[in-house]
Amino acid sequence: MDGDAKLARLLEHPAIWRGRSAAHPRGLPTGFAALDAYLPGYGWPRTGLIEILVSRFGSGELYLLLPALAALTRARCARWCVWVAPPLMPFAPALASQGVALDRVAVVGGARPLWAFEQALGSGACDVALAWARQPKAREIRRLQLAAERGRTLGVLFRPRRAAREASAAVLRLSLEPITAGVRITLLKGRGALRGAVDLLRPGGWSV
Amino acid sequence: MPRAAPLRLTGRHAAGRPVPELWAGLHLPGIDPEKLQQLAVCAQRFTPRVSLAPPDGLLLEVQGSLHLFAGVAGLRGALMSECLRLQVQPVLAFAPAALAALVAARAGQSLAVIDLAQLTGQLAPLPLASLRWPPDTLARLARMGVRTVGAALRLPRAGFARRVGSQQLAMLDVLTGRTPEARVTFHASERFRRRRELCCELENHDLLLAALAPLFAALGAFLRARQCGVVELECRLTHRHVPATRCVVRLAAPATDVQRLAALLGEHLSALNLPEPARACELRADALVPHLPGSHDLWQPGEHGGSAGNEACGLIERLRARLGSAAVHGLARLEAHRPENAWAVTEPPPAAGRRGAQTGCSADAPAAGRRPLWLLPAPQRLCVRDGLPRRRGPLRLVSEPERIETGWWDGGEIARDYYTAVDIHGVRLWVFRERAAPHGWFLHGIFG
Repeated sequence: MDGDAKLARLLEHPAIWRGRSAAHPRGLPTGFAALDAYLPGYGWPRTGLIEILVSRFGSGELYLLLPALAALTRARCARWCVWVAPPLMPFAPALASQGVALDRVAVVGGARPLWAFEQALGSGACDVALAWARQPKAREIRRLQLAAERGRTLGVLFRPRRAAREASAAVLRLSLEPITAGVRITLLKGRGALRGAVDLLRPGGWSV
Repeated sequence: MPRAAPLRLTGRHAAGRPVPELWAGLHLPGIDPEKLQQLAVCAQRFTPRVSLAPPDGLLLEVQGSLHLFAGVAGLRGALMSECLRLQVQPVLAFAPAALAALVAARAGQSLAVIDLAQLTGQLAPLPLASLRWPPDTLARLARMGVRTVGAALRLPRAGFARRVGSQQLAMLDVLTGRTPEARVTFHASERFRRRRELCCELENHDLLLAALAPLFAALGAFLRARQCGVVELECRLTHRHVPATRCVVRLAAPATDVQRLAALLGEHLSALNLPEPARACELRADALVPHLPGSHDLWQPGEHGGSAGNEACGLIERLRARLGSAAVHGLARLEAHRPENAWAVTEPPPAAGRRGAQTGCSADAPAAGRRPLWLLPAPQRLCVRDGLPRRRGPLRLVSEPERIETGWWDGGEIARDYYTAVDIHGVRLWVFRERAAPHGWFLHGIFG
């Protein structure tokens, strides 16, 4: 009997629980089958803070979220989708043509993005809140995560790639880099998640 | 509990029989509307049933008040002195029907008719013009030799209705008290103003907020008693030397919860730089809005379909209190070909409510061509080498051009060929080349 089979038999023991088989609440479908299979809960978590680390603004990080945003804003009792301190103004016609319902989108500018983000996450008025922050501290990220759980909100924080080495309380951390035909997504942290990277190719619709 | 609609009609009936009424009609030629309102508020001293007859009339039902002012003469004196105080010169007439009192006053007759039986006789000599009928009707009647109320009343009713109009006939009936008239009672707008002198001068925001607590308690009682909410609250802090500091809280929806108001005012105060310690504070709420308490959801927001109306309003107010009112806005899409004009900033979206699930994108049909998710505030010029644009290295054009050429009619003419380009880091950009010389390249958006 070789090692793999031995290991498999050992793991069948009912006293052994594995992280991957832990009960995950059903996630929010990302709209990309490959990514759904890769994420714990088979989709974005519905509650909690996730971090998306990108090397450069505009690497395709927003297109990754658009199908989920469209589904959330078009739901029957949709709450808000709040954008906190986006670096540029989101272009309304493009959002609408991707299926996002603009009557659920609010943009918050101003000087204190992290405070506004925490308010939006904790208020319970939003289904999803997106934020762009320069250098949040680990303590602040923990506060954001707690606020997201309090308000039953999905918080998405976009951070630069170099933050990958810092500890974070986010439930899910992804790193994203553009490759020739699409983007490569590496999972840095996730409760009971697989390791490795997944490549999403740009289909015709995504390549816009 | 919904607010009971206030009883607005002033026809009083007891046991099926109309109670005798006595109306005081004031004719105030050339009065401005603001003064009329002011006079109406003052007139509420004499009776609760005050009715406006814009543009220049005011009616008071005074039957119940006569004995308090020693009869009609005493009441006339009191009313005239009140008018003099406000510097208006009215003609005042008393009659058992509201319209009769008003018409008599318009005719310049200071009548005092108390008995309904005498009314018709007293009205007879008044000119018809005081009824303010259309000029051609009056001219037609004048050609028939009918110039006074009495002459009009003597005409056969059926013929009068046919020739002059049934509306005018009904008005004559109201005038003589044959049919009762329902008049809308004037309600003065109420406001809250409460001031408190501080026992020592305060500068600390928390202490100021604590000093304001009794005023907030009074405001809460005031709003509860009237089942009203406020949409704007003003706090004035008086100083020893410099003019008072004003701090205005504006709300997204009528608020009755004083604790929330106090918390919002605290946010505003903390953003405020007081020039001097405050000696007194005052709370003002001028515009009261009827408040209909909403029902609460069984579900929490975000659960199964619990909506988040209250939370949404609270969020907007907190964000606006600290970041300024321009910091929160919504987005709208406009039908325009120029990318710069294809979107607009709007008020924040309405609080989440139930609505039909939207499926598909049929309502928001995709615009022609590809559009980036981010648009630069203004096109940014790119440097060019060998006829191709560069941004941190050469750009690779990966799409067919899309020509946007429009706006020649309003001076904002554009003629551009848009391309999707990829820079050396793999970021997809929306660039355009101007059709006119010198054919510059510009970056206009990032696909994201």
